[in-house]
Amino acid sequence: MSNQQPALSQEVLAQFNQTTESWGSPRRRQGSISTLRSSQSQPRDRKGPCHLPMPLRAHPGGVGGSGTPRGSNVSNPNSPFFRRESGALSKRFSFGWLQGGRSSFSGLTLHQYPAVQEEVKLESTYRTGPDQDSRFKAAPIQNLLQATLDSYMEGVCYSPTAGSHLGQVLAEMLRGKVKEVCPPRYKIVCQVVIGQNGNHGVRVVSRCLWDPLLDDFAVATFQNASLFVLAIVHGVYRE
Amino acid sequence: MEEYSGDEVSFNSDEASVSVKECIESIIGGVDYNQNKVNQWTASIVEHSLTQLVKQGRPFKFIVNCAIMQKSGAGLHTANSCYWDTATDGSCTVRWENRTMYCVVSVFAVAVTL
Repeated sequence: MSNQQPALSQEVLAQFNQTTESWGSPRRRQGSISTLRSSQSQPRDRKGPCHLPMPLRAHPGGVGGSGTPRGSNVSNPNSPFFRRESGALSKRFSFGWLQGGRSSFSGLTLHQYPAVQEEVKLESTYRTGPDQDSRFKAAPIQNLLQATLDSYMEGVCYSPTAGSHLGQVLAEMLRGKVKEVCPPRYKIVCQVVIGQNGNHGVRVVSRCLWDPLLDDFAVATFQNASLFVLAIVHGVYRE
Repeated sequence: MEEYSGDEVSFNSDEASVSVKECIESIIGGVDYNQNKVNQWTASIVEHSLTQLVKQGRPFKFIVNCAIMQKSGAGLHTANSCYWDTATDGSCTVRWENRTMYCVVSVFAVAVTL
């Protein structure tokens, strides 16, 4: 029985991969599907939904997503795993097995099960950069920053104790707002400078080392009698 | 092939803070606030800091921000909020002052996956 185990797992894995591919799904299961009993490979009448009559046995080195061969041969065309539902079945089956398998399975601990489910490999999109319209656009973000500042800071007076808290709140709020309108795959750095409006000079300068085609920044300022606020938001593409 | 995570280093903020402090000292250490020169100072500070950071040779994009304010009794607050990967990206802020001015330099480093 133990000799049949590797063949069964490879075969099952290959079947599963084939079925998921036929769906057009980008996901592949890298870990082998756990099995409890390998000797009963023939009678597989899994026409029903998730509850499988046959628990499968785990491959000794395979569960946990480590050593499963990926390019395995398909040698049993009559196996029910060829069927379209079998992919979902085997997926749900592993969940079912989680519930039912504790008592009858030996050799593997429970915490390895999540590792099997996490081993999904995504297909490459062959994309090297964002589209023209998915780039960080400074103008709309600047308008958004300005509008937010104007509305939030109306009537606010500078106070030393509240100033730091106000800065933090503003930074978080602006970051949240920019995140909503920002295109995907962009990291956001939001900085807020609040100062008391007095008879002194202030100079704020920013310089960046990045990809100028993809990354950009937006600035907004607000000033009233008692304070000034400067908000800078940088958008950096996540390569 | 996608998961080239063997060499993932995170941003070392202590090292960056030391080199930024040296840059500030070299440019405005021991001088008084001068409105005519402050443009030049801020530009030099960010340029030098950026150059020093790049010399470390790490795969990061950098954002360096410098604020110089004259000391007049008025208050100044800076805050920042970042949406990034906390495992690889980081920031450091250096506060420096002398008798006549404050200088606050913030460095943000965003990892580039090679």
